[in-house]
Amino acid sequence: METRGEPQPANRMSKGDSNPAAVPHAAEDTQGDDRWMSQHNRFVLDCKDKEPDVLFVGDSMVQLLQQYEIWRELFSPLHALNFGIGGDTTAHVLWRLKNGELENIKPKVIVVWVGTNNHENTAEEVAGGIEAIVRLINTRQPQAKVIVLSLLPRGEKPNPLRQKNAKVNQLLKASLPKLASVQLLDVSGGFVHSDGAISCHDMFDFLHLTGGGYAKICKALHELIMQLLEETPEEKQAALA
Amino acid sequence: MSDGDKNPASTPTPLADVQGDGRWLALHHRFIADSKDKEPEVVFIGDALVQLLQQFEIWRELFSPLHALNFGLGGDGTQHVLWRLQQGEMQHIRPKIVVVWVGTNNHGHTAEQVAGGIEAIVRLLQQQQPQARVVVLGLLPRGQGPNPLRERNRQVNELLQARLPRLPNTCFLDADPGFVHSDGAISHHDMYDYLHLSRHGYARLCPRLHALLLRLLGECQGAGP
Repeated sequence: METRGEPQPANRMSKGDSNPAAVPHAAEDTQGDDRWMSQHNRFVLDCKDKEPDVLFVGDSMVQLLQQYEIWRELFSPLHALNFGIGGDTTAHVLWRLKNGELENIKPKVIVVWVGTNNHENTAEEVAGGIEAIVRLINTRQPQAKVIVLSLLPRGEKPNPLRQKNAKVNQLLKASLPKLASVQLLDVSGGFVHSDGAISCHDMFDFLHLTGGGYAKICKALHELIMQLLEETPEEKQAALA
Repeated sequence: MSDGDKNPASTPTPLADVQGDGRWLALHHRFIADSKDKEPEVVFIGDALVQLLQQFEIWRELFSPLHALNFGLGGDGTQHVLWRLQQGEMQHIRPKIVVVWVGTNNHGHTAEQVAGGIEAIVRLLQQQQPQARVVVLGLLPRGQGPNPLRERNRQVNELLQARLPRLPNTCFLDADPGFVHSDGAISHHDMYDYLHLSRHGYARLCPRLHALLLRLLGECQGAGP
């Protein structure tokens, strides 16, 4: 079910589909073992079998989180599912969510973390892609509260991708408050030291987080999820009054 | 292969920085710098299967006690490992054992070429690290169901199994504990994306490797100073 066309802010593309980062796109099987589709299919099956209260969706930052002990400690008890696929861009996540990964489930909270792999796109396009994901979730899962995680800095020393990711975060800070049921959780602080360097202790390859790196961001994330899970419709109404 | 043939898998090649944050080169330099004051007995070199191993508890349990260093880089093919070695990644250290685990990312290369690339790594190590025993790990199956890459990796292992024992101080270990089930499927409990090992997958695979390393280290000791 597609919604009617929405008015676009003046500083955005005039048509949503002229932003390639906001066009759903399945990953091609370039390697020859079809792993992307296999993972997607598994997630679709999970939607049929399971009843998650919390859904995580995104790239390897999401996927790897499940490999560490911290997932079992903090998120499994919340009945969380992990639909992260390494290498994914916003376009890949959009495709997956449109093609079954939001069906048969009714999570209370959806965590979205994607954008650092959008190498072909500008910061504006990446932010637009993330907004498109949030709008899709609002349509298909109107009951769900969305948490968008900020993009992290990357690379050992200052480099253009750090600036780009920071720009994406800046754009999201401005645009997300205009969308429904979503907030941006900025977890990007604390990784860049005073000399501009990122440590291998936080990101083992200056991109992917170590267990210690995840511990830094998961405390705030877990607290926010707990808060959103506990908010009942009555409490929310009272807060708005 | 005749002398005129160039095997891309055995041609030292740096990984191009297409993303723009220079991470590959930064890690290569970090490996060199960090090894200046270390005296590892075992060095692991290879791709993400090596690199990720260090993120799990099992590294601390089984391999840290052996004074091991980890020079794994995700995405590396044999030609990238060759370049790193040629550029002196191990110039500061003289380990007793080097574990080589690479080849699954050699996309577009034939099994023959990949095996040739791994052999080139072994020969380079024999030149640079004549004191070291080299352990080459077999390539694992991948993908959720049967696919051409499984077949290629299997062929690489077959070639290595035949050729490596002829090289001095070299052994080949197929550490696959049986990841492919009778229905041809690989479980995401072992490989969370049907390529990279989960904690559970490493727990199934590492004991055999660990046992081999202990045996080889024991033999090194027995041989005397």
